[in-house]
Amino acid sequence: MRDPYEVLGVAKTATPEEIRKAYRGLAKKLHPDLNPGDKRAEDRFKEVSVANDLLSDPEKRRRYDAGEIDASGAEKAPQGRYYREYAGGTGHPYESHGGFADFAEGDDIFAELLRRSREASRRRPGADLHFVLNVPFLDAVNGATRTIALPHGAGPLEVTIPAGVEDGQVLRLKGKGEPSPGEGPPGDALVQIVVEPHRYFTREGDDIHLELPITLKEAALGGEVRAPTPAGGVMLKVPKHSNTGDVLRLKGKGVKRRRGAGDELVRLKVVMPTEADPELDRFLADWTPPAGYDPRKGM
Amino acid sequence: MLNEEEFLKRAELDRTTLEVWIREEWLVPVRSTEPRGFTDMDVARAKLIHDLQRNMGVNEAGLDVILHLIDQMHGLRKALAEAVATLRERTPH
Repeated sequence: MRDPYEVLGVAKTATPEEIRKAYRGLAKKLHPDLNPGDKRAEDRFKEVSVANDLLSDPEKRRRYDAGEIDASGAEKAPQGRYYREYAGGTGHPYESHGGFADFAEGDDIFAELLRRSREASRRRPGADLHFVLNVPFLDAVNGATRTIALPHGAGPLEVTIPAGVEDGQVLRLKGKGEPSPGEGPPGDALVQIVVEPHRYFTREGDDIHLELPITLKEAALGGEVRAPTPAGGVMLKVPKHSNTGDVLRLKGKGVKRRRGAGDELVRLKVVMPTEADPELDRFLADWTPPAGYDPRKGM
Repeated sequence: MLNEEEFLKRAELDRTTLEVWIREEWLVPVRSTEPRGFTDMDVARAKLIHDLQRNMGVNEAGLDVILHLIDQMHGLRKALAEAVATLRERTPH
């Protein structure tokens, strides 16, 4: 670390005003953003900043003069990256071609290169817009059209939700993003789908799962019951002697895709009446299970 | 991408000043409509503007000129870099 007075080029007796002036003068010359091609400018600017930091604070300056801290004792290098590190990229809003527009007029190789570079940034597409769209379970299975209200200015955005869309999937709507800053195409709108859960349907891949309550009588004797599917109710044949946990497969009643449809898997659940049923009570009182019948035999 | 809140914090800016800087086109947010978005580049540019104003005593009118020239200089540097790269490719070693 060099002596801060030396770095700023001021006398030990310099007034705060002299220090401020010296720093300003050096900062104007050495600021990395005013010297984008000079790799050493950053180090020199840092050194000047540190020296100024030390000498512009009366307390720090006193301690330095008294030998309590050294020149690096107050080191506080400027934070973050300099603008020049970004400005070399293409397609940012601060790009300017004003400095060479005249050179680009000719018909030699330089003019050609300059035109190409200018053209590339002119045709840069607009930024993409990101949205999250909550979709009810059945709309995700069957497909739907939804409208997203865009931030002010732009009109509403129509989103066609394809049948079978999955949770987390991102739909890309071409050309529905920000307009190009130049004359390029607009960006895209990216819509992330969040599928809301359903009251009784769940989904695994293209299969729909459903737990279907049936009565004791339907389980024992079999019968036709109405089972909901994403496309509406269908009649389902419950075989005789069905039980809780039995799974019936409704072919093709799952999620419909171009490559074919999934199935709906109906898991039966035998439920007893919730209200007292004296007739059932009487019947069961008279019923004797066959000898040796014990559902808890395996426990 | 930073939202306005994060940007103001990192760029050490208040909202009123931000509006002025955007109106002057010293800063150009990624999205012109609400909610506005900002990049790390905008943070670096804001720090440059702070440096020019606070540490070098540049006033508003001067800032306008300086930023315009800096933008042109970067455009020129890029054009020059591309021309040099192409020439190097075409020059036999």
